[in-house]
Amino acid sequence: MSRPVSHLSIVRSILVKDLKEYGRDKLWAFLTVLVLVAFIVMYWVLPNSVDETITVAISPSFETMVETAADTAGAEVDSDRLDELVAGLEQEQGLAIVSVESAANIEALVAGDATAYVDGSQTIVVPKGARPPQGMQKADVNIGIVFPDDFLAATASGEKTTVQVFVDATVPEEIRVAMVGIVGEFAYAVAGDALPVAVPGPEEVYVVLGQDRLGDQVTPRESFRPLLAFMVLLMEGLVMSALIAKEIQQRTVSALLVTPATTGDVLAAKGIAGALSGLAQAVVLLAATGSLSVEPALVLTLMLLGAVMVSGVSMIAGSAGKDFIGTLFYGMLFMIPLLIPAFATIFPGSASAWVRVLPSYPMVQGLVNVATYGDGWSDTLPSLGALAAWCAGLFVVGWFILKRKVETL
Amino acid sequence: MEWKDENVTQAAIKVEGISYAYGDVEAVKDLSFEVAPGEILGFLGPNGAGKSTTIKILTGQLTPKSGTAQVLGIDVSADDPVVQAQIGVCFEEKNLYESMSGKENLRFFASLFGIKDVDTEELLRRVSLADRGKDRVSSYSKGMRQRLMMARTLVNSPKAMFLDEPTDGLDPVSSQAIRKLIKEEADRGAAVLLTTHDMWEADELSDRVAFINEGELYTIDTPENLKLRYGKRSVKVRVREGDGVREETVSLDDAAVGEQLKAAVTASGLMTIHTEEASLEAIFIQMTGRGLEG
Repeated sequence: MSRPVSHLSIVRSILVKDLKEYGRDKLWAFLTVLVLVAFIVMYWVLPNSVDETITVAISPSFETMVETAADTAGAEVDSDRLDELVAGLEQEQGLAIVSVESAANIEALVAGDATAYVDGSQTIVVPKGARPPQGMQKADVNIGIVFPDDFLAATASGEKTTVQVFVDATVPEEIRVAMVGIVGEFAYAVAGDALPVAVPGPEEVYVVLGQDRLGDQVTPRESFRPLLAFMVLLMEGLVMSALIAKEIQQRTVSALLVTPATTGDVLAAKGIAGALSGLAQAVVLLAATGSLSVEPALVLTLMLLGAVMVSGVSMIAGSAGKDFIGTLFYGMLFMIPLLIPAFATIFPGSASAWVRVLPSYPMVQGLVNVATYGDGWSDTLPSLGALAAWCAGLFVVGWFILKRKVETL
Repeated sequence: MEWKDENVTQAAIKVEGISYAYGDVEAVKDLSFEVAPGEILGFLGPNGAGKSTTIKILTGQLTPKSGTAQVLGIDVSADDPVVQAQIGVCFEEKNLYESMSGKENLRFFASLFGIKDVDTEELLRRVSLADRGKDRVSSYSKGMRQRLMMARTLVNSPKAMFLDEPTDGLDPVSSQAIRKLIKEEADRGAAVLLTTHDMWEADELSDRVAFINEGELYTIDTPENLKLRYGKRSVKVRVREGDGVREETVSLDDAAVGEQLKAAVTASGLMTIHTEEASLEAIFIQMTGRGLEG
């Protein structure tokens, strides 16, 4: 005998019921809207530019160094030419130079015991806790270089000289090394020697891998986008966990399973309800943050697979908890590790190998590559494949656990 | 324990030697019985006797470790939706969707049976909830929820009904309404398996009762037969005599029973006449050594 009612019809009925229940749960409905609005606001509040300027304090000033060298050589200094040269150095992209009177001041500035205030060529160093001067701009000094008084004369004559470089503990190693290189390069230039290495200029050939983001660095807003989108999915996952747990705890699932509905029908409806509501919210977030302008179909596919994956995790969490707190605990336990790849995108550099094996990694990385670096379908296929495999695996595990739970009620 | 059920000709529910265990604990042991269409079988036993486990097996929620169970001629282990489409189950727990109204609950469950034009008004009227159908279940009292559970059981006009303690803890009015419904459904032709530990309810509703304890079926028969079989065939007569009361027992098997009863009824100081038949609870205790409330 054929089925008295089709699976499709049953799944649709349960799905409509689930969405109705979800909409009527005031706590979760409120939290959903709150999270969505908060994340959209957070996105727009985040800076949309990157300040990559490194402020370097030097002592003595270039003018003093040149004048000392001129005195030693008995030569005249062309003030206009000197001003032009100094201005040229200070306009170097990403580099701000602050001239300070003494080595002690430089040490204090880099150590954070004093703050520099600049107004044109004038710099005032104010000890920590003292009142700042009016009308001057604060300069956060990261690196300090102390040149010896006879630096120019010594380097010009080929003598060896010592330069002290002070760096803030937070300055990355590569910047420290670069600063030492700059000092060396400066000395070579003064001495009139060329560097023994040929570096091509901007007009020559650079090999840029991927989209060239020179001058258009990834902004905090862009970095946070995958995190916010994924957190919306996870929030939805928690809601689904709670709804599944409620169905088990109130034993309504038993009432469903003595009708023509099967465990598979119930789980399919839950999965679809979770994925749909998660996707809908993620789409609202992405649309409100203007993130659907590039490859919208691809971004939506990634988000859909992400939502399905989170639904699978929700089934596991929802089946594991014995009450609201238990469900919340298991929900967080399963969901927080999934957030790690999204956090990893905030910080530059490659993710660790163990982060790459987390189920959410392909979705987050795919989203970053599409939205930030302009990847297309063919570039994203490996991520989509990995994500689909994770979805299937998690769904099967969630399916099995929930089925076992229902059978033992 | 063996018994043969000779009253049933065509069973709507047929159970043969089913057993089930939760781990090492045997909940149901070699259970066999049948329920005919239109018959109400009262399943009497204390808490933990195996009544709910039996219902779970018969409704496809559990698979028996051994034995077979058929509902409407189909093996329930096959998880056949055709069976599920023709049964109605009323759970002991009030497992309704609280955020939905009474009507929405009924419509939703009807949709799972593929019924689009369910008459929710009529169902709610039958359980005296017609005026509360639009209210959310969360605002219902315990009795109202239980009545809605009964209405839900009826959305598909089931041919076999499994009712697990349907009147447990309810007020007399709600209990009476539910008992009336059960009778009506049996009159319509539904086979009803009713679990209860309320001896009075079983006596009033059931065509036959089955005694179950620690997973074993002790006996199954009509309440009348059980009472006759286990009770005393006698009448106790109490007559006032002067300042005292005289109590006399008249055996119904005595050749002069007619004259003795006539004399008792016409006696001037007659106070009471009681038959000496046993209650179902007394019989249960006599057979199992355990009370029904345990």
